[in-house]
Amino acid sequence: MTLLDWGVLGASLVGIVLYGVWKGRGNRDLGGYLLAGRTTHWPTITMSIMATQASAITFLSTPGQGFADGMRFVQFYFGLPLAMILLAATAVPIYYRLKVFTAYEYLERRFDGRARTLAATLFLIQRGLAAGLTIYAPSLILSVLLGWNIHVTNLVTGALVVIYTASGGSKAVNYTQFLQMLIIFFGFGIALIYIFNSLPGGITLGDAAVVAGKLGKLNAVDFSFDLKNRYNFWSGIIGGFFVALSYFGTDQSQVGRYLTGRSIAESRTGLLANGILKVPMQFGILFLGAMVFVFYLFTTPPVFFNPVEVNRVRSGAHAQEFRQVEERYEAAAEARRARTQEYLEARRRGDPSTAAAEKALREADAGTSAVRSEAIAVIKKNDPEAQTSDTNYIFLSFVLGHLPAGIIGLVLAAIFAASMSSTSAELNSLSSTTSVDYYKRFVDRTPDDANPATARRDVLVSKGATVFWGLFAVGFAEYASKLGSLIEAVNILGSLVYGTILGIFLVAFYLKRVGGTAVFVAALVSEAAVVACFLFTEISFLWYNVVGCLGVIAISSLLASWGVDKKTPAPAAA
Amino acid sequence: MTEEKPPFGGSWGFLYALVLLNLAAIIALASWFTKAFE
Repeated sequence: MTLLDWGVLGASLVGIVLYGVWKGRGNRDLGGYLLAGRTTHWPTITMSIMATQASAITFLSTPGQGFADGMRFVQFYFGLPLAMILLAATAVPIYYRLKVFTAYEYLERRFDGRARTLAATLFLIQRGLAAGLTIYAPSLILSVLLGWNIHVTNLVTGALVVIYTASGGSKAVNYTQFLQMLIIFFGFGIALIYIFNSLPGGITLGDAAVVAGKLGKLNAVDFSFDLKNRYNFWSGIIGGFFVALSYFGTDQSQVGRYLTGRSIAESRTGLLANGILKVPMQFGILFLGAMVFVFYLFTTPPVFFNPVEVNRVRSGAHAQEFRQVEERYEAAAEARRARTQEYLEARRRGDPSTAAAEKALREADAGTSAVRSEAIAVIKKNDPEAQTSDTNYIFLSFVLGHLPAGIIGLVLAAIFAASMSSTSAELNSLSSTTSVDYYKRFVDRTPDDANPATARRDVLVSKGATVFWGLFAVGFAEYASKLGSLIEAVNILGSLVYGTILGIFLVAFYLKRVGGTAVFVAALVSEAAVVACFLFTEISFLWYNVVGCLGVIAISSLLASWGVDKKTPAPAAA
Repeated sequence: MTEEKPPFGGSWGFLYALVLLNLAAIIALASWFTKAFE
């Protein structure tokens, strides 16, 4: 990194923190601190929602997925717009009319304290650990590729976020997220332009798309139905719908974003605009990855993108074998480059040999992939514990190796902005849940607006909770490197509980005759079913949400029809 | 209760339809993209 890169990165980070502290000043009560005084307009809500969902890993990993696996991941988001419509039409008005601070507060009004405590506790555990990983995952990648100290990176990221999130609450989070999304769009837009400019002379965008398509990187939609296939149209539209419904409707890190709207209309519109923008954004990021793939058709890529694993094997007992594989990989990549040129030239001429040239290109690409698999096998042989997936390292490795000074700093600023935006929303929502669902319920039940002293104390407690969860997240990020495969378990935890929580909320919203005991029992049984699916079947994780959610609805309805604690309708429900 | 109008578009029905049409257009475009370049 050059001085210019450091300057761009440093100025961006300091600017974000100062802007957040400045915009978030003057909070006098919980409404101001946790809900931004309900003053936010819909464009800021939309950007805030998008920034919360898109963490640094989204921007590091998704182009890598486009590179390695093509664009099929975009289907995961097909159900999201449908969920936005349902939530805008039903959940938002309910939350507003009850004037709740958190989604879980609503559950006590609808059922009883057990449902609220169960949902709030599951949220604190899952989101608290996830906040640690939101900091840890990009720090790990940056430390591997740039040689930075991972502990310092964890600490700096966490400290910067805590400063403005604790100081300014939701208002600071919302406004900085707007700024962060602008940095992200700008950084990635510039990167895409540079990729196009870096292609050899005469290669047009159309050529790049044709080659990427022929080699299976533009496989955006697959209509075949297969429960074991993680990304197809059906898993995306059905499973993705339930995931989005659960995440945006019941996860406080998202609910807290649109509850800051100045009216129901602003919050609804913020969600709907997210439904319009999200899929094209993911499409663009995946396309960026596919274009990085095309770039590497003309420039020999590393055989493996994680330099730590490569250096380990180069200095180990299998160094000689690995060197031979690397030489063969370079030859295979060179042959693939020649076949790519031949195919494009034949295609331009409209030559009858185009089909044969296409076949030769596919074979050359398959040959390159086969040698890469051999390299991975050597890495694994050298160290059975080695990480054999390098998807997360592909995009940043490209940026560091091929983009000019200044742009590298900008892309790094975008990655930090993404990490900070997700983390700040997570800390803010953890603070809301701790303050509202625990402190104001079990410790001090005095209404926040009873007197200025109570309001000041409540804000202070919320700030303290933000700092606590910030320390927890950084602490977990520090510990994460020792967890190994447990990290995957933490990542999957959300998939295991989201469906059940969604089921509880859907019953609360739509099945007025079901009471607290029925839904509580149904939630426990459905969660057991989801865990059984995880442990004993090969069903893709996207379907866990469907199982958990439909399980709660079906079982609680059955129990209610048997007369288990029939409940009066929810207060002021839509 | 009178429903508040959206900031633009005139009615919520119009905005919901807009989101659905946008999704349908993206899926159609992505399908074409897949077929055209496969």
